[in-house]
Amino acid sequence: MPWWALAFAILSVACNFASFVGFPQPAALPWLSIFLAVVALFLLVAGLIRAFDRRTIYGGKILSIVTSAFALIIVGLAGFISMGARKLPSAASAPQPGQQVPDFTLADTSGKAVSLHQLLESSSQSQTAPPKAVLLVFYRGYW
Amino acid sequence: MAISVDPPEVSRNLAEKSGYTFPILSDPDASVIRRYHLLHPRGGPDEHDIARPAEFLVDSSMIVRWANFTEDIRVRARADEMLAAARNLR
Repeated sequence: MPWWALAFAILSVACNFASFVGFPQPAALPWLSIFLAVVALFLLVAGLIRAFDRRTIYGGKILSIVTSAFALIIVGLAGFISMGARKLPSAASAPQPGQQVPDFTLADTSGKAVSLHQLLESSSQSQTAPPKAVLLVFYRGYW
Repeated sequence: MAISVDPPEVSRNLAEKSGYTFPILSDPDASVIRRYHLLHPRGGPDEHDIARPAEFLVDSSMIVRWANFTEDIRVRARADEMLAAARNLR
């Protein structure tokens, strides 16, 4: 059972990164992580109780303690990642629906200056009509 | 289009690897990110300032028609959600 606890603890950490491989329901990931961590903790306690209760039948006492300790550390890591993922500054003063956004000019991937008003006025394919709207995606970066 | 503090070379690699054809802009000193009040101070590695994730649909008069601010970096707007918001503009 401690091995299962370890496996669930690792899965609990791993699912925090599932959004990078195109997990279809990213909104469910934080809950999935917590659920897997709880399962891991449950298995860990159950496994230790079993190892100490019936040590004549189940001899792996030291091994189960070591495995449980590892599982506990990894569950702690999952908790740490979950806390870190939610540590975002508030967006309360960012532009809200109905408000106007400031124009800006920044360099694109080839170093060419691109501005918001320019994108709204002309389409990238010059023959077609200008776009009705532009989607602005601010992201953390792929360091 | 997408905006981050990444230098153009990093964004170029991303675009080539992923086949993105939309503009990816670089805001290395986070000046535009700051103007949009989306700065995540010391959020990046080596404690450098980055953008918090945010998505806006801006119309031709630069009015925000739809916006999404996540409270958890693991949960972002999906492409189909953003497309649905764009279709709703018509």
